[in-house]
Amino acid sequence: MIEYPLETALPSQTFGFVSFSQVSLYQIGITIAFVAIAIAFSAIVREKDDIHKMLLIDLIEITGLVVIVLIATDLAEALILPGLVVGIAEIMVISELWLAKEELQQKHSVRKLDIEVMQTAPPIIGLMLAVYGIFLTGFSGGLIAALGLMIFFLGKNMDERFAAVENAAGYAWALWVLAFLIFMFIPSQWFLAVMLAAVGILLKVMAKMSLVGTMRGLNNV
Amino acid sequence: MNCIQKISLYLADTSNLPKIYAAVICLIAAIGICTVPFLTYHGDQLYPKPAEQNMSPLTPYDRGGVPFIEPAHIAAQYPENSPALGYVTAYLTPASWFLANTTCYLGTTIVGHPGGILDEILYYTRGLDTIVEASIFFVAFAIASFLYRRAKQ
Amino acid sequence: MFEQRLIQLPFGDIVHSLSGYTVVLFAFAVMFVVLAIISLPEKPVDIVFGTDGYYTKEIPVDLMKFQRFMAIACGIATIGAITTGDVFNFTLFAAFIGILNVGIVAAVKNKPVLDAAFSYGLVIMMATVPLFAGAAIIGATCGTLSIGELMKAGIHAPIVAKLFLLVGVLGEGMAPFYIGKAEITRSPGAPYILMIHVSSLLLFLRAVEIFLMV
Repeated sequence: MIEYPLETALPSQTFGFVSFSQVSLYQIGITIAFVAIAIAFSAIVREKDDIHKMLLIDLIEITGLVVIVLIATDLAEALILPGLVVGIAEIMVISELWLAKEELQQKHSVRKLDIEVMQTAPPIIGLMLAVYGIFLTGFSGGLIAALGLMIFFLGKNMDERFAAVENAAGYAWALWVLAFLIFMFIPSQWFLAVMLAAVGILLKVMAKMSLVGTMRGLNNV
Repeated sequence: MNCIQKISLYLADTSNLPKIYAAVICLIAAIGICTVPFLTYHGDQLYPKPAEQNMSPLTPYDRGGVPFIEPAHIAAQYPENSPALGYVTAYLTPASWFLANTTCYLGTTIVGHPGGILDEILYYTRGLDTIVEASIFFVAFAIASFLYRRAKQ
Repeated sequence: MFEQRLIQLPFGDIVHSLSGYTVVLFAFAVMFVVLAIISLPEKPVDIVFGTDGYYTKEIPVDLMKFQRFMAIACGIATIGAITTGDVFNFTLFAAFIGILNVGIVAAVKNKPVLDAAFSYGLVIMMATVPLFAGAAIIGATCGTLSIGELMKAGIHAPIVAKLFLLVGVLGEGMAPFYIGKAEITRSPGAPYILMIHVSSLLLFLRAVEIFLMV
């Protein structure tokens, strides 16, 4: 395990000719991050196929997160979440845009997965994940619950109200903004605000991610 | 065809934009590698994460405090803008309070419960970041579903 | 001009404020939001080559509504980027503006426009890496993300962080890609398409202020 604090220099070490006497752990980390960024972006320069570019760019966003991680405080952990979500949001838009551009939206109308295990297992797994996600609340809870719902929808020919679920996500977003305003203007009610924010983010993430599970090119949504 | 014509022809094709942009970032990363000796870590950071921690059940995220009674000590940027600073960090839900008192490993899952240092930063002191992030997600979903539904019409 | 804070609106660690410089940008952004709210879409006229015939294109109502929503949201995100006093918050607003610009462009159903929008979408995805990296390097080497604190302490941000932020802002606002812009804006959707230009210009001007101050 590395136990040196980030700002102090490592003890003098000599590798061959080079002496790393005054190199801190942060500098080593940032050097590696820069090398990773250079390698990752050189892949975009070389790649020609559109969908491969998209996948590569989704991967290289990790290098941005690496630089955030190097702050190495609680703040860094908190900043990773916006960074990650922006990446997810953008890949969602760009992939739908790619489908529209290549006129593939109509062609691949995927039916439900017609295998035996997808008729019996999804309700059980989906329910378990959804209950656990609601127990956790917050962002990770929303993701887990959404995963459960996505698995559930994968095994069904769904005809649920697309617009209704989308509206629910909108109200959840408003709930979260309300929680933020309570935090800012009535700080004594911080407990109410935490609960509103936790429930709001759970609903929002769950509704949106489960809608992704239903966007499979069927006509009845 | 002279040089400038070739360059402008290459730039005129929008599918070349990502390549040019990626090349520019590669260049800046190379400059970054050259300037690494000037990048020194600032020791006095906000929201510090202590390197050595006691062995409480909340270990990686234990910042002290008692729920509802005593707020945790948080090094925020502008503490005067956040009067209830530290209460969210100290808060534990009844379920996580039970787990903290019976097991030693609540710290591994605390980010999944309301309360804790990350919720303090994400919801309270830097709440606006999270609002913007949620709005980005919201708008991204609006665009994707608009494109999706238009294809169905 | 830059230092004087006229109005301050604190949100915890993120303090929004207006200086004598940004108040002008703010007024400009507000004006264009109002324009996007009140104006009706422009109807392009195509003239059939070699004859006297011409036809006008109808803008579908749902397209108009969607583009108007995106344009108004883009104006509000631009106001956020102008007023924010935090480097990371600024990068998030820049990413927000980028994705809204893609939304305005992508709404048009036209193959060349969608091609250009896809290329621009790839650029905005890549641009989040230098943006977040620049903000994170400032955070790690200066110990704070607040522009006001950086100014007060007289700390100069590392040059590589500034370069990263600059190239990130250019990618999100596609300011240097005027060639790409000409391709993208060859589409019906005026006046909402104007918001792309306004937001990228104002984002860039705000970034200049940040580079001069920290």
